[in-house]
Amino acid sequence: MIVVRVVQTGDIDALVALAEETGPGLTTFKPDRDALMARIARTRRTLAGEAAPHEAGYLFVMEDTATGDVAGVCGIETAVGLQQPFYNYRVSTVVHASQDLGIWTRMSALNISHDLTGYAEVCSLFLSPRYRTGGVGGLLSRSRFMFIAQFRERFPERICAELRGHFDAEGTSPFWRAVGSHFYQIDFNAADYLSSHGRKSFLAELMPRHPVYVELLPDEAQACVGLTHADTIPARRMLEAEGLRYENHVDIFDAGPVLECHIADLRTVRESVVAPVEIGAHASHDAGAGMRSLVSNTSPDDFRVGFAAGVVHDGVFTLDKQEAAALNVAAGDAVRVLGPAQKPRQAG
Amino acid sequence: MLFVRPARLADLDAIAHMARTARPVLHSLPHDRAALEARIALSEDSFRAEVDYPGEEFYLFVLEDAASGRLAGTSSLVASAGYSEPFYAFRNDALIHASRELHVNRKIHALQMSHELTGKSRLAGFYIDPSLRGDDAAHLISRARMMYVAMNRRRFTPEVFSLLLGVTDEAGVSPFWEAVGRKFFGRDFKDIEMASGGRSRTFIAEVMPAYPIYVPLLPEAAQRVLGEPDPSALLAYEIHLEEGFEPDRYVDIFDAGPVLTAQVDRTTSVAAGEGRTVRELAGAGTGASHMVASQRAGEFRCVLATLPEHPERHRAHAEAPLDAAARAALGVHGGDTVRCAPLWRETPETEDSTMGSTGDAQ
Repeated sequence: MIVVRVVQTGDIDALVALAEETGPGLTTFKPDRDALMARIARTRRTLAGEAAPHEAGYLFVMEDTATGDVAGVCGIETAVGLQQPFYNYRVSTVVHASQDLGIWTRMSALNISHDLTGYAEVCSLFLSPRYRTGGVGGLLSRSRFMFIAQFRERFPERICAELRGHFDAEGTSPFWRAVGSHFYQIDFNAADYLSSHGRKSFLAELMPRHPVYVELLPDEAQACVGLTHADTIPARRMLEAEGLRYENHVDIFDAGPVLECHIADLRTVRESVVAPVEIGAHASHDAGAGMRSLVSNTSPDDFRVGFAAGVVHDGVFTLDKQEAAALNVAAGDAVRVLGPAQKPRQAG
Repeated sequence: MLFVRPARLADLDAIAHMARTARPVLHSLPHDRAALEARIALSEDSFRAEVDYPGEEFYLFVLEDAASGRLAGTSSLVASAGYSEPFYAFRNDALIHASRELHVNRKIHALQMSHELTGKSRLAGFYIDPSLRGDDAAHLISRARMMYVAMNRRRFTPEVFSLLLGVTDEAGVSPFWEAVGRKFFGRDFKDIEMASGGRSRTFIAEVMPAYPIYVPLLPEAAQRVLGEPDPSALLAYEIHLEEGFEPDRYVDIFDAGPVLTAQVDRTTSVAAGEGRTVRELAGAGTGASHMVASQRAGEFRCVLATLPEHPERHRAHAEAPLDAAARAALGVHGGDTVRCAPLWRETPETEDSTMGSTGDAQ
């Protein structure tokens, strides 16, 4: 069974190996053993309640329990920007109108903002190409919302996710070429690397301090504002299905969209339920036959989540032995369950 | 003999003709006949008025051929630009973006809407008959204004400026307008140019950018013309430089044409100008071209004449030998005092020596 679970200290070798698969480009997950060790330690401190608010964050790994293969990773930051500022552009609307001349024009301006300070952030998602089938990516992404639903009190009011922006056929960002390159004087990857490794002071020193009019930029740069990288569109759909929306914040380097919402409005938070577990065979005549639910245990230290057949029926959820073992639950334990989006329970 | 004098209502037809044919358009001279008449009337009132400090006055000059009475050019002075409404320009500010850690240090220019020029005296409305463009007469009609300023300092501010036409192509398209103004106005440059001529300029505050515009983010075509005069304005540009104007950090908000500014004290008309006593001359004069101006009974006149150059120590007793035509145009006789300033700077070989001589002349 494929499960996503909170990272353990023993996962370090597997994580380094997985990071080797990313290749260049993904700057938040590099095969840097010390950095990964620190990230695991930070997760464990956060779980133990020993992390200060500005450093609290979680890392999860995807494991195939049949083989022990670790093939995916994802994370949650509890509250961004509390130590190093969290920068975005807010895309604001500016109207210029003159009754005298019969003119009315609408423009957009990019304003440096710290609006998202204190938001939780879902981040660092990477799935080995070996597993990019059968909804594994969806499981990896949504596992985080199951964790948040289960431990709601650990998180703030709102959440966001930064998506990669548009890159052209040569692999460069037209937005970076038209805007960032003039201010930062280093290449995109260097800027992205420094930024994602907490060395953000250069941002404050070099970034545009005044709003930037979008309509004055070259067309190809304008088109980038809020545009999602082609490879990231499935991730965007997944997050939108969860309830996150583009609310006019974009990345300062590539202008990729930031999706955001109130945590209380996340589909998983609204619709998941806690039910006791029964262990047994899945009955083919059950109301939930042919359907599957996202199921997690309720343990912070060994949080695990995966897909299991069926839905909550008569107030209980049935797992088979193998599923119960993979999720590390015993009969009578509570599990959190998110049924399919079609609301099958009403039918039963 | 060409001479400069204040415009009169009787000049209305001739001025209307110049206003219609002038290319580029003269914003200071409305095409509407009644409005133009009002401008000339305002100018007449302004020349007559007792003025202690610059206000609403507008001074309109014409270049007349004494022999034919024909008008061949015009120019004007606005005592206080934006007297009733702000005068807008883009100020080109340099912003330093530096990071020690990254060894980056960069100067980034940004255009900020500015009212800084509001209230300063402004040179405007320069037009010379195309047949005289290569002639010293072009200098005369343009620079007579500074001779008038030199003789009437209280009517003008200590710093004056002139806004020149920015680059447009054959079709009248301004690359700067295309990259900036069009985005805000959604119209052709020419439409706005015409619309803005006689109207209130409050529309500028309503429509133009409130935030600074980063220059490096603009298309290259727009960056290239920033502060560049249109080829058709090069003559005016060079005349201003000769008078002592310098490009400043301001540009026009519509076409990014240059704003030239000058401290009145440092202009040729003031710094190198002097009073001389008229001596009646029968033949041709010798020496160098000078502007010679008179203000008999308040009636300003300015002509070009060839006058002897002489060392500064003789200034107190300098003479202006003038022939009959010049004396008639100026309305002066032997023994009267006229103001004289050299048309060309004394030592134009290097910039340093030019600056030095200007300084010495103070």
